[in-house]
Amino acid sequence: MAIETEAGTTQRPGGPDPVGTPGAGAWWARPALHTGVIGAIIGYAFGHWLGNYWAVPTANSPAAYQQIGTSDGNDFAIVLGYTFMLVGWLIGLGVFNDLVKLMLGKRLPQNGHEANGGVAKYFRFTLDHKVVGIQYLIGMIIYFCTAGLLAMGIRTELLSPVHHVFSSSVYVEIVGEHGTMMMMLMTSVILGPFGNYLIPLMIGSKRVAFPRIEALSFWLTPAAFLVLLSALPLGGFHFGWTGYPTLSVQDTSGADAYAFAFGLMGISMILASFNILVTVICYRAPGMRWGRLPMFVWGILGTGTMMALAAPILSGGMYMLLLDRTAQTAFFTDNLGGSTYLYEDLFWFFGHPEVYILALPGFAIVSELLPVFTRKPLFGYKVASAGMIGVTLLSFFVWQHHLFDSGIDPDMRPLYMLTTELISIPTGFIFLVGMGTLWKAKIRFTVPMLFCLAFYFNFLIGGISGVYLSDVPADTTEHGSFFVMAHFHYTIMGGLIFAFMGGCYYWLPKMMGISLNEKLGRVHFWLMFIAFNSTFLPLFAVGLAGQPRRVFEYARNLTTLNDWVSISSFFLGVSILIFIINFVWSTVVVRNRETGNPWKSRGLEWQVSSPPPADNFETVPVVLSGPYEYGVKDAPPVADLNPPVGVLAAGLSESETARAEA
Amino acid sequence: MSLPVRVGTLLVAFLAVVGGVIFVVIHFLLAGPPVVDYAAGVAPGQPVSIMLQEDPQNTVSNHPDWVSYFIKDPKTGAWVHTTLFQVPAGSRVNVTILGYDGCTPLRNPFWGMVTGTIGGVEDVNGSPVSVLNSWASCSVGHTFSIPGIGLNVPVASPTTLSANKNVCGLSPCTSGPHTTVTFSFNAPKSDGDYFWQCRVPCGLGYLDGFGGPMQTIGFMTGQMEVVS
Repeated sequence: MAIETEAGTTQRPGGPDPVGTPGAGAWWARPALHTGVIGAIIGYAFGHWLGNYWAVPTANSPAAYQQIGTSDGNDFAIVLGYTFMLVGWLIGLGVFNDLVKLMLGKRLPQNGHEANGGVAKYFRFTLDHKVVGIQYLIGMIIYFCTAGLLAMGIRTELLSPVHHVFSSSVYVEIVGEHGTMMMMLMTSVILGPFGNYLIPLMIGSKRVAFPRIEALSFWLTPAAFLVLLSALPLGGFHFGWTGYPTLSVQDTSGADAYAFAFGLMGISMILASFNILVTVICYRAPGMRWGRLPMFVWGILGTGTMMALAAPILSGGMYMLLLDRTAQTAFFTDNLGGSTYLYEDLFWFFGHPEVYILALPGFAIVSELLPVFTRKPLFGYKVASAGMIGVTLLSFFVWQHHLFDSGIDPDMRPLYMLTTELISIPTGFIFLVGMGTLWKAKIRFTVPMLFCLAFYFNFLIGGISGVYLSDVPADTTEHGSFFVMAHFHYTIMGGLIFAFMGGCYYWLPKMMGISLNEKLGRVHFWLMFIAFNSTFLPLFAVGLAGQPRRVFEYARNLTTLNDWVSISSFFLGVSILIFIINFVWSTVVVRNRETGNPWKSRGLEWQVSSPPPADNFETVPVVLSGPYEYGVKDAPPVADLNPPVGVLAAGLSESETARAEA
Repeated sequence: MSLPVRVGTLLVAFLAVVGGVIFVVIHFLLAGPPVVDYAAGVAPGQPVSIMLQEDPQNTVSNHPDWVSYFIKDPKTGAWVHTTLFQVPAGSRVNVTILGYDGCTPLRNPFWGMVTGTIGGVEDVNGSPVSVLNSWASCSVGHTFSIPGIGLNVPVASPTTLSANKNVCGLSPCTSGPHTTVTFSFNAPKSDGDYFWQCRVPCGLGYLDGFGGPMQTIGFMTGQMEVVS
């Protein structure tokens, strides 16, 4: 059948689902994780061989693919190895199977949604957004814990200024791996699991816009994670997570892994964000007006916008760096006509919106959860959504504050100081909406709510220290110190990760039909909250006292503070371990079933069973009111889940007519 | 899936994760060149004599064209490819460095000054010297610098001193033109690890000479471990 005659795949709000999961068969014969690994191994071996073959010196091209003559390593072969590994990984996973079938004119066999309850679907390239959400959740927890273990290594080393566990070189490698893994992979820690799983449910859609792109965005993340880890056997990289030339151009082959992985994650972000944006814009159910959009969706919409605009710059910069390292280009080499500033601009044009890519989903979660546990309408819905739009727009006008000390034109400093201070206004909008919602509320101190409250406490410290650092004199004084490190850990870990934890406790009953243990949850929260503050608050003092980042030796008079911080960080690690134990114990061993709406939420996602049916909704719902009308007298129900046929048809035809007129 | 199967799978996954972490820590994070022990059998405060050589290449590693230091094992007398060594706390450390490599001009003439040694000098082929001018006579091959104790010793190059430019081609070098540099310094009285580094931009082929061997332990950077 030709593609154009396949009318069943027409995409319209609430329309039929896409088709195309692999056909049934023995598990080992179906494309899945194991075939992906086999494909990756074959691909790497081929690519590496090809790179070495092409790099053999000939009369016309003596050692053509080696910029650094004495590196004694063929970066070209390594990068080609990674490239073919990625191709093999995707082929092995079956990413291209449906495309090939379509090109051959074959009909695709199945509906994309996974109705069976087996675990095998979580190891496959699947078109079910709920399965992709769970895959993202497990993946993100693994990435976070790996990077967290590296953080434990950093703090172990800093127990003493003179006795060393690692060499200076390995210490910097660990710092770089930790920072890069956190900053590149945690961009999707909320958008990936919660965004992909919940957005269609929250907007009343049966599907996402581009399920293949969504699934691909996830399956690129394990590849990026493993490539980044592979830097360690290649000698690591020694430039932290920012990858500044000229060091990154001439570092060991581990720098190839850094640039390839970070660029790959950029592609994953682009794909994930496009899918989310189109889904929210085009797949809302009738009645889901912009003014009724849940705050979580607003936050993810802003995050997706920033990702879609910023991530291409990152990927471009990273692959230009790879070309400098392998193909003898000189984009970032000053004395060969390039510019290191170019890299710094490309990196931070992504890097600073990224800070809000990390912060906004945290605000989205806490703004979503507060009304549920205060049983009040969200205070200032329009102000909060305006704040999220404001942060999204302004995030692209602040990146040069990372270059205050890089020798930029001094006249540029006040401008970027001002824009950086300006962004605290929309951020303040969202913050004050939270405070207004809490005002005189009868708060239910559940575990998710505790994490929300901790989010505000932590982010306040991180935010105020951020405003302080946005001033040029303060930034010049504290640049490169532990003060800056403490600041961004307060915003990212104190904000994003606390919100993520709150989201886990809140939505896992919805996503997995299983509730986490409440007592372990409370132990987890209190230990994490106390240990987090005990770890990072003293680091402001350590930074003010002059201890630089990324250096494994420090002044001896700072030993006590550093020891305090290190021991606190170990407790922080224990708190995460408690979460893992709780997660695994609750989901694998005990399995306390939760099928209803345990929080009595008005969210549309909670109006269907837990976990949701394969198609989300039996029919496309008609949304009747906003999600936060708690305690509002005579508030209508959130939605009609079984609207009369005529209502839905009229709603759809109205929207199509409006579109046609527009 | 039944409970025993789930728990069993969980245990296997847990053991695989723990095994993976241990493998990475041992093989990649804690792995490094050997430590040559000059402290064994020497009481703290007693003098020790250590011997190093710097070579124009390294034919015993997978970086054959990287410049490198070697350290002589006091027990076996063999040259070991490492830059890690132990000395007793509070001891006088008598150092001999055999300089087999050619010269490279220093980025900063400051590194041509001898600092932190006993007497403020080094002996180059038996003659006391307090500064080497790497630009006027291209006389510095590498340096041996421990910032933590303020030590900096430029190691003279044989190229201009002996007028014989045939550097040795097999490492560790046992013959060929070289300089003999000796100096002494006092090790710190409290134990700890002290980072040391060559200050000559000797990463040939890297931008500005900084990179490769300059930043790699076992070649032109290392650690002095002071033990009590």
